Amino acid sequence: MPEWKQEIAKRLSAASLRPEREAEIIEELSIHLQDRYDQLLSDGTADEEACRQVLAELDSTDLQAEMRDTESTVAQDSVPAGAAPTGQWFSDLLQDLRYAGRVLRKSPGFTAVAALTLALGIGANTAVFTIVNTLLLNPLPVEKISELVAINTTQAKLTTQSGELQLVSFLNLKEFQERTQSFNSLAAHSNPMAITMTDTAQPRRIFVEVVTVNYFDTLGIHPFMGRFFLSSEDTTPGAAPVVVLGYAAWQGRFGGAPDILGRTIKLNNTPFTIIGVGPKGFKGIYAIFGPDVWVPSMMSEQIFPAQQAKALSDRAIPLFTGIGRLRPGLTLAQARAEFNILAAALEKEYPNTNQDQAIALRPLAEAAYGPERQGLLVGGSLLMGIVGLVLLIACSNVANLLLSRAAVRRQEIAVRMALGAGRIRLIRQLLTESILLGLLGGVLGTLFGYGGCQFLWSFRPAEFAQNFADLRINASMFIFAFAVSILTGLLFGIVPALRTSRASVSEVLKEETRSVGRSRGRISLANTLLAGQVALSLVLLVVAALFLRSIQREYTIDPGFETNHLALFMIYPGQAGYDRTRTEQFYKQARERIASVPGITSLSWASNLPLWGRKETGVAIEGQAQREKSRAISAVVNTIDLNYFSTLGIPFLEGRDFTQDDRDISSPVAIINDTLAAKYWPNQNPLGKRLRLPRGKEFLQVLGVVRTANYQTLGEAPQSCVYIPLRQNYSDAMILYVRTERDPSSTLAAVQDEIHNLDPGLAVEDIRTGTKVIEQALWGAKIGVALLGVFGLLALGLASVGLYGIMAYSVHQRRREIGVRMALGAGQGDVSLFILRQGMTVVLSGVALGAGLAFLLGRALSRFLYGVSPSDPVSLAAASLVLLLVAFTACYLPARSASRVDPLVALRES
Amino acid sequence: MAPTVENEWKKGSAELLILSLLENQPRHGYDIAGLIETRSKGALHFHVASLYPLLYRLEKRGWIQGRWVEKPNQRRRRYYRLTAEGQRVLGLQRRKWQEFAGAVSRVAGVQNA
Repeated sequence: MPEWKQEIAKRLSAASLRPEREAEIIEELSIHLQDRYDQLLSDGTADEEACRQVLAELDSTDLQAEMRDTESTVAQDSVPAGAAPTGQWFSDLLQDLRYAGRVLRKSPGFTAVAALTLALGIGANTAVFTIVNTLLLNPLPVEKISELVAINTTQAKLTTQSGELQLVSFLNLKEFQERTQSFNSLAAHSNPMAITMTDTAQPRRIFVEVVTVNYFDTLGIHPFMGRFFLSSEDTTPGAAPVVVLGYAAWQGRFGGAPDILGRTIKLNNTPFTIIGVGPKGFKGIYAIFGPDVWVPSMMSEQIFPAQQAKALSDRAIPLFTGIGRLRPGLTLAQARAEFNILAAALEKEYPNTNQDQAIALRPLAEAAYGPERQGLLVGGSLLMGIVGLVLLIACSNVANLLLSRAAVRRQEIAVRMALGAGRIRLIRQLLTESILLGLLGGVLGTLFGYGGCQFLWSFRPAEFAQNFADLRINASMFIFAFAVSILTGLLFGIVPALRTSRASVSEVLKEETRSVGRSRGRISLANTLLAGQVALSLVLLVVAALFLRSIQREYTIDPGFETNHLALFMIYPGQAGYDRTRTEQFYKQARERIASVPGITSLSWASNLPLWGRKETGVAIEGQAQREKSRAISAVVNTIDLNYFSTLGIPFLEGRDFTQDDRDISSPVAIINDTLAAKYWPNQNPLGKRLRLPRGKEFLQVLGVVRTANYQTLGEAPQSCVYIPLRQNYSDAMILYVRTERDPSSTLAAVQDEIHNLDPGLAVEDIRTGTKVIEQALWGAKIGVALLGVFGLLALGLASVGLYGIMAYSVHQRRREIGVRMALGAGQGDVSLFILRQGMTVVLSGVALGAGLAFLLGRALSRFLYGVSPSDPVSLAAASLVLLLVAFTACYLPARSASRVDPLVALRES
Repeated sequence: MAPTVENEWKKGSAELLILSLLENQPRHGYDIAGLIETRSKGALHFHVASLYPLLYRLEKRGWIQGRWVEKPNQRRRRYYRLTAEGQRVLGLQRRKWQEFAGAVSRVAGVQNA
């Protein structure tokens, strides 16, 4: 009896099956042969004949070919006739992915550099996208935001819809609510206002919004815990001191205490009961900055400062923004038409307060950003554009790396083509590789992006961090990163894939790898990519330089008051439950005691924060005709105490300061700035002239003229300003200004102690020095410049690494040529120069292209620049210089190594 | 000529034959080969070299599944059983065969026995 296993193995030897599979097949078949043999014997066949017959059966078919076919058949055959062939594409993809993974693993250095380069680009994009998404794309967690409309008034009919929007008085809102047919429900909210909260020992400043009871219902949101307001809680003024906490405030300020409901907190010294916690992620409908708590509108008097305490009954005190939910099927235009009629009716009924008032309706999604919307949109798209450029640079870098590798892989590719791989199939394989690389970069990039936006978000002013919008790190961030990764992979992979797969089989297989002439085309494509990178980097650097110069200029702007050695303290005695007598006494006491603190040269009280002044419209000048509302005089109004101008360092031009004698009983007076004087009393002496404030009853006599300062923004056009004395115009929300001999930070604590000694219940939280005020005013711009700078440097870094890589590679490729040149008498210097010239030609053409692009972009951005021309030669020169220096280094290193090529060695290599 | 035609038919019907034999119980290769021969009264004959590649192919498609089984006093053998998918395919192929056979009969004028 023959050894069956050997016989079978002999016949399978060339089928190249997996060893364990082969062993299994041999075992199974040998059993079959043995069975057959046994049977033949038992049927009476002679031993020899039985052997012969069994072996003949084994040879009746080409076993080897059959087995090879069977075993190499992939699952694709498993589709029964008639079913859709689903397997092919997917199995090919798996195969491609496996192969791509192997290729990437085989050159870890390349993979790491490429993935890291991409990660930087994708990370920057993810971070900026997340922030833009947080601020702009998906703002409010409310129901059907498209139905919601924000309602404001505008003073003059000339004002455009997006012009100067004003708040609405409570009484006018009531009229809207009663008369409108367009809205299913109409609610209102005040702006977030700083108030004093006392729950334990230490008073704290938090932000509150006063809202109508239907506010939450109108928005369609539900409490996280407890309940929102009942309509019975908004009928009698002062009757229902209840408060709803925001989720973030509950977590941040109360540690997420589970027994928070029913607890009492004091807001402006009035006890309020906590009845509910708002939904997670909801911080009011002002998308960027939100309140900590909400109270019903009937509690206005307890919340608003003294001047506005009558907000519920005075039609002239506008404190609210209306929010309406449109009836299904109604359009915004229809609602606008209705409100135009409504505005006209109200004008007729209440001419004193509503004259020339138009009502502006805007989609809430648009209104949610307030006046910052425009800036945010531009800033957001600018940043997206910039990180897009950074990503482009990263892509072209990786494309260059791939091209370099393509040279090495030409033979591999050619062999695969010779074995019958189609071009499409090859391109697909190569693209799979680059997409895998892109995804690898994407995973890393998402981590970078996550870290990046956390880092950016950490720049929020710490004390109000929880009032700011929360970063939206959610699925859309990951979807974005994933999509960008895939796209990136396609983008940097497509050109190298097309080029690599075009290799002619016979040529490559004949060719030896070191061939020089043939890679010319590759180098020139690489050079084009490089020049593009250089151009884009230059654009970014120039833009960053422009903004840097612009912000430098802004720092040197004279705000019109002395910022050095100035400190200010926000104290609201009214919020500690003080009445008028006590408040006035407090102002006086504080002034006396703090004046005696060593190092303090003068101090004063004023109602306005520097650069946060609010304009009032409708100033009347005595003896001049009542102006049409469209040309109404507007001015910043500031209530001040004695010594204000000396404390702030605002020079007097004419007349005198307020004195002790300018009191309630004396005739009302004011001080104006020279802008107002020049505008309304040109070529006249303004002293002794009289004017009336928008809501004032009496004319005020001008006592003096001071120099114009900046009141709302740094570097603003000159604005009119009227100062009125505290002693004639009571206010319970004032800011203490202190001028010191030296650096004010050393005296801050002493001043705080004095106030604490006067009344431990007064919150003094917001303390700033004058220079900090300026810094805060430039905060947004500074962040912007920092970002631009970081991205510009990132781009420069990527581009120079790419430049170095391609130069070094080109030197390596041309060693033979360099060797020949040197053998023919070229000196080391000649060779260096030759390589340098080559590299710098590319760089210079990139710089020329980039300068043109930067100029165009600069012009588009010119309105965001202060005091810098978009074609500013300094910015352009500085950016070009930095770029050229870096590029020169990146070219010089390879050039030096080229000059060290030993001609003998180089030529022998061939 | 005749053997070639027969071969083609054999090939076409082989899958159906194997699936049918496995319908009610798992069997090993030699068993299957024997059953085909006896039940066809010797008309159909599968040699080792054609049977096993076919079995492996069916297994790869997931229609049958093989498993090594050791029974006392017997050699270790590989038994094949029909999978759910195989069951479905068997039904399909039976129907197709019937249609095919019926069509051939009608055209060729052969009367069913």
